[in-house]
Formats: sequence, C-alpha cells, structure tokens
Amino acid sequence: MSAAQIRFATLWRREVSRFMKIKKQTLGGPLLETFLYITVFGAALGSRIKELHGIEYVLFVIPGLVMMSWATNAFTNNSSSILQQKFQGAIHDQLSSPASPLELLLAFSLGGFVRGGMVAIITCVVAFVLVGLPVDHVLVLIPALFLVGFFFSQLGVLIGVRAEQFDDVAFAQTFVLTPLIFLGGVFYSATLLPQPWQTLTHFNPIFYMISLVRYGFVGYSEISIPLSLLALTGATAALFLFNLRLFSQGYKLRA
Amino acid sequence: MAEKALHIVDLAKRYPTGVEALKGVSVDIEPGEIYGLLGPNGAGKSTLIHCTTGLAQPTGGSIEIFGHDAIHDYAGARQAVGLAPQEVNLDWFLTAEETLDFHGGYFGMPKRDRRERTKELLETFSLTAKADERTRTLSGGMKRRLILARALMHRPRLLILDEPTAGVDIELRLELWHYVQKINDEGTTILLTTHYLEEADQLCNRIAFIAGGEIAAEGTSDSLAERFGVANLEDAYLELVGRKELSRSHVEGIEEISL
Repeated sequence: MSAAQIRFATLWRREVSRFMKIKKQTLGGPLLETFLYITVFGAALGSRIKELHGIEYVLFVIPGLVMMSWATNAFTNNSSSILQQKFQGAIHDQLSSPASPLELLLAFSLGGFVRGGMVAIITCVVAFVLVGLPVDHVLVLIPALFLVGFFFSQLGVLIGVRAEQFDDVAFAQTFVLTPLIFLGGVFYSATLLPQPWQTLTHFNPIFYMISLVRYGFVGYSEISIPLSLLALTGATAALFLFNLRLFSQGYKLRA
Repeated sequence: MAEKALHIVDLAKRYPTGVEALKGVSVDIEPGEIYGLLGPNGAGKSTLIHCTTGLAQPTGGSIEIFGHDAIHDYAGARQAVGLAPQEVNLDWFLTAEETLDFHGGYFGMPKRDRRERTKELLETFSLTAKADERTRTLSGGMKRRLILARALMHRPRLLILDEPTAGVDIELRLELWHYVQKINDEGTTILLTTHYLEEADQLCNRIAFIAGGEIAAEGTSDSLAERFGVANLEDAYLELVGRKELSRSHVEGIEEISL
C-alpha cells in the first residue's frame, strides 16, 4: 500500500472503529427502532390496512424504513463524530497530518455511510427471511440506496462541520430531517393525502428518495424513476462538491 | 543558503473577528536547534504554531519546513512536523496504543513500522502497562506523555512543543525536560513555547520574545540579558513586558531590608 492509501484507510478506520466501540448505541439502537416500526406499522396497522396499491402494507412500509435507517444513521454518525472531535480538539491530529481535503472529506463521510449501510442491510436480510421482501428492480435499488446513503453522509458532515454545539445537530435532525422523512411517505402513499398536502409532498426531496427505494424493492412508483435518479445524483454531487470546497477552505476546521 | 528547519518570513494572521494575532513575524530555526518562543498569553505563540502545522491559515507571509512550503506543499511540510499541543486533545474513543497507531497511519506509516514504533514509544514513555486503556482513563501526567509520544510517532524532523509542561508537577516537568534533551540529541529540531523561563534557559540554544504578534528580541539567554542590560533571562523578559518591578532581585532586596 502507498502512504496515501495507508493514510486514507486509517482515517476511515478511525471513523468505523468509533461507532463499532459503542455498537449497542450506534447499531443496536437503530436496529431495534426499525424493528419496532415494522412491528407497529407493519404487523399491527397492517392487519387493518392489508394492502396499498395492491402491495401488502408491511412490504410497502419496509423500503421506506430501509431508506430511513440508512439516511438517519449516516447523518447522525457523521455529524456527531465530527462535532465530538472538534470539541475534544482530537480532530487536530487528522487536520495536521498530510491528508488532503478530499481524503479527509471522504473518510469522514464513509464512517456514517458504512454504519447506515450495516443497519439497512441487516434490516433487509431480516425482512427477506420474515416477510419475503422482494427485490423487483435491483439496478434501481442499489444505486438509489447508495446515493441516499452518500447524500445523508455528506449532509451529516456539513452539519457536523458547521455545528458549534450539540444543540445544532439535534435541531437539524429533530426539526428538519425527521419531519421531512416522516412526511415523505415512509408509512403511506402520497396519493392518499388530501390536497394541498399531496402536491406539497412533491416539494419534499425525501419523497423521491423513498419512492426510488420502494420502486427498487416492490416495483411501485408515483414518480419518474430516471428523472428522480438523475436529480438525486445531481443533488448528491452538488452537496459533495460544496463540502469539498468547505474542506479546501478549512471552513470552521482550520482557524 | 543552507536549508532551515523552519523558515518563516513576514507571517501575518488576522482572524475573521479582526484580531491581528501575528504582524509580520520572521523566524529562522537551524536544523538541530532547540528554539524557544517566549511571550505572555495572547502574544501569538500558539497562532504561529497553528499556522506552521496547518491548523490555522496565514493571511500573509510564508512558512517553509525543511524546504517544504506549508501552503503549496503542505503534505511535505506536515510530514516533517510533529506537534504536541498545549491542550490535551486525545481522542476519547481510542486506547493509548491506538492513539499512536492511528497517528502513524495518518502519516502513511506501514503496519509493521507502526507496531514497532508504538511498542518502542510506549516503553520510552512508561506507558506499556496502559497500552489498552482508553485515553480518558489515563492520569494527567500519562496524557502529557502520550501526547509527546504521539507527536514523535512519525519521526518528525521538527518537533513543536506548545507549553509542554504547563500545569504538570515538578517530577514530570523534569522527566519531560529529560525527554526533550534526549530527542534533540538524537537529531530532532525542537521549537518550544513556554511560560517557564527556567525551562527556556535550561533547554534552548536560542530564544525569541514575542509580544503583540511581533518578535521583540531574539538571541541566546545571555545575549538577551545583555541587550536589556539585566542579569538574567527572567529580568530581560520582565523588561520586555514592562514589569521590571517584579524582578526577583528587586523583591529579594526588599525582603532583606524588611528583615
């Protein structure tokens, strides 16, 4: 391995080792939460709702939960990790190393990406075994999930870098991210909503992410798949380039 | 011109708040020297160090570390520097061993080299028994030693010690002086900031006084005393900061009269 490869692997290993050392909180908690959602919304509510657009309700809900778990874990991990390291000053060890802005950004991003991916994949495997979750369009599902995971990893990095106190991270998660995810149609179809909520839902970017993932799993969609994939790719690339610019400028990282 | 360990020319740093921490500082440190930077709190010592290590971005001037420009060739420059900061900034999630191993990785050291160097440094700094302990459980003295070991992990040619003995007991202070002398004897150039004039007097080949973001005077301990027309480094420093009434010779004289 070259020095640059060793450096990047170590930066990334540090991020993964952080959440693995507290895995009851970082993996166990989110998994329990996801299975509680499946139980309450899928099994309990599902016994009354039965089907949505010809799809068993529990199968309609699970894709949204998979997307939600990858998104929220990627976001929470990266924002918390960066803010904690800023508070401790420990981030100076990485910042004073020869690592480039790109290496630092990718390493900080991939910690949350991997954690979110682990929660999402375990959820999928359990859902395959217990309720026979199908995969109708794997070529849409995989890029969609990867883009969602990477988008929220970038968002977590951005909030972590900008944040000056834990309240800033909690605000973004509680008052912005969670409402957008819940109102994006994790538990219901937007077509069931009365106006103007149905139209307003189309202004929520997370609605398109959930729809893409749902299409990948169960083949149901209310949106244009190619256009949504393109928009998600564009948004992810734009956010990544924005973060790279901040890292290159040393924004709130280097005085 | 022979390559300098640290070559700083007209370094300026103005923070976004408008505070001008450095106003055109120039410093040259020769390879193998122990160079002391003395000055009151807020004089610009830490800002100079942060600019040198990439933790702050200069607004003017240039910095070269063993010929590597700190901005345009930051990777080469940072590879040559080890920093033991003033504040204990250890990662709570890591053990003592991991702290050294990860640091070595950030600087591109291969696994086998990291393992051997980690073992060697844990032994040198009497931390072997604490190798698997998380850093937050270590005593204050152990944390200080670990920070110094971490700075040395990638074998830097220039070691920067930002107030390494602030708040430590006498035993550890003397122990750290011993380490610093040993590291220097092995060929590492050292930039040391301190508030303890005795420390600078004992360890440094040359000393600079920094005040208000500018280098006020530079030289050996004796030449600084001579320049200010006083008996020792401490009195020269007190002259610089305008508090010569605090001179020990002055205070001791008063005590003699009152007795």
